[in-house]
Amino acid sequence: MAPPTRIRLPRATLILILLALHLSLSLAAQFEGFDSDELPHAAAADPASPDDDDEGLDLDVDLPPPPPISVSVSSPSPPVTTTTTPANPNPTTPPNPTPSLDFWDEDEFEGIPVPESPTSDPSSTPAESAPSDPSAADAAEAPPAPPRTPAELLRAFSIEIACVSFLICFLLNYFTGKKQNEAIALAWATKFATRDSIFDKNFSLLGTGDGKDTPLLLKEGQDVFKFYASGRRFCQGMLATMEMRARHDLLSKLLELVFPRKDTITFEVVMNDESMDHVMVAVARKKAAKTMQKEERDLQKFASVLASAPAGKKWVADELSVVAESKEVAGDMISEAVLDQVLGEKAFEKLGKWFISLHFSDQLAGSYKKVLSFKFVLPDANNMAEMTKLVALVPFYIDLIGRYKLSSHARSKTDAARTKAAQEAFRELQGVRQETLLRKKAEKKKLMEEAEAKLSAEVLRKKEEKERNRQMKKGAPKVKMLRS
Amino acid sequence: MKEATTSGGASAGANDPRQPTTARPYAPPKLSSQDLPVDYAGFLAVVFGVVGVMMHYKVCSWIAIIFCAQSLANMKNFENDLKQLSMAFMFAVMGLVTNYFGPPRPGSAKR
Repeated sequence: MAPPTRIRLPRATLILILLALHLSLSLAAQFEGFDSDELPHAAAADPASPDDDDEGLDLDVDLPPPPPISVSVSSPSPPVTTTTTPANPNPTTPPNPTPSLDFWDEDEFEGIPVPESPTSDPSSTPAESAPSDPSAADAAEAPPAPPRTPAELLRAFSIEIACVSFLICFLLNYFTGKKQNEAIALAWATKFATRDSIFDKNFSLLGTGDGKDTPLLLKEGQDVFKFYASGRRFCQGMLATMEMRARHDLLSKLLELVFPRKDTITFEVVMNDESMDHVMVAVARKKAAKTMQKEERDLQKFASVLASAPAGKKWVADELSVVAESKEVAGDMISEAVLDQVLGEKAFEKLGKWFISLHFSDQLAGSYKKVLSFKFVLPDANNMAEMTKLVALVPFYIDLIGRYKLSSHARSKTDAARTKAAQEAFRELQGVRQETLLRKKAEKKKLMEEAEAKLSAEVLRKKEEKERNRQMKKGAPKVKMLRS
Repeated sequence: MKEATTSGGASAGANDPRQPTTARPYAPPKLSSQDLPVDYAGFLAVVFGVVGVMMHYKVCSWIAIIFCAQSLANMKNFENDLKQLSMAFMFAVMGLVTNYFGPPRPGSAKR
């Protein structure tokens, strides 16, 4: 697959990293807790020749252990050195434990074979000790056969190679995927939200800032972009949320090979309370419409899937189905113009691949009740113009619904349904409230009973004690005491 | 559709639909930490990290590091996720350190 020279590189870097880590660890352990006047000695001992080092070692070892110094100079240092030196896996400790021996209290650390290490020290110079480290580390996981072929190395480090190369791929993919997502979002924004575009003509405030010189798009994570617009008749504001495929994430990308996803954009328009009548219509593909009808609470409560088109009218494409509260409203919402431009048979052939769903509701469960939501598929950055007609639906429907008034006949029906639903909700709320009240009462009662039981037990115990005392008094011989 | 919008505007008196007075600035929805989607990558990273440390499987530690990277790439709420992520990363690194520098385990030297 890959040439061995390329594979060697991660291994070499790995060994280097391991070596650096190991060295820094051991050095840090040895220089901990030193005083400034001891440091020159250590520094001098470090680059010294092995003979000098040996002499110094012998001198120090031969000296009787100086307990007063070790106590007065730095008391926490002996535990530090002892914990680190035995933990060192390789038998050839670097030859600068001389200063640490100054603090060595033999009485305290009996049976620990550190004083023996100087005898093995002369064999390795400080220069040699450095390359001996990785070999020791390698020996922990592979047999210490010195000449190893590249194939063997490959096998020994297959996991590391795979993981490190995957991480590198992940990192590269992160940057490229991030750029791709940003490119799509920017293409959308330049097409629909810059000067003299659809949203600029319809909304007075664009972007999440105060509208002066702020960026149009708000980035939430690497795959979610938001566009906010406000300042239009009939509505409070519009929030468009672009949810991209997780292009920046290699693992999700692999997952998407199995479960494909598309870039979507959702427009949510919050209508003014007074400018939206009882409208509840949803349009989606047949299957999606059914699930919407089952899962969306407002549709579930008020609406049903329309089985047939209103009489004497053109209707939506065959793939689509309409969920609505009343046929009349649905017929008025899906007007001739809409059918002609988007939802009709002919137009939908062309635009169908970008359409997911429409959902207008005045009874949405959530912080806002009167919401129009439009869900479309985002084209890629170069074909953004293809969804122009779909995006134009947004201001069109804001105006249409903002002006729309139900006929008195339909209104009476929807009114009845809403009052019924409100009553139900009220009853439900009351039920919940009563339940909590009952539960509270029961808890209180339980607590009281428990307290009573405790109290009575205590009373009983006291009584018994008194009784026993009386019995004792009765049984005991009467002794008179004299006070002197 | 464009004609439809313009015609819709025209029927309203051809006036500008924009109303700067009613514009209100964007208010980000307040999300409690429970409402956030579950960070599967972070969770898996912790699980693999712990398994890697406990069982001395270096594969698990490496996988934990990969999931850490994924979690980091998908991070949305910086402070919230960082706790879990840092814990997972610590576990993964600890597993690797004990694997490569720790004493060789008898019997399971090659894992």
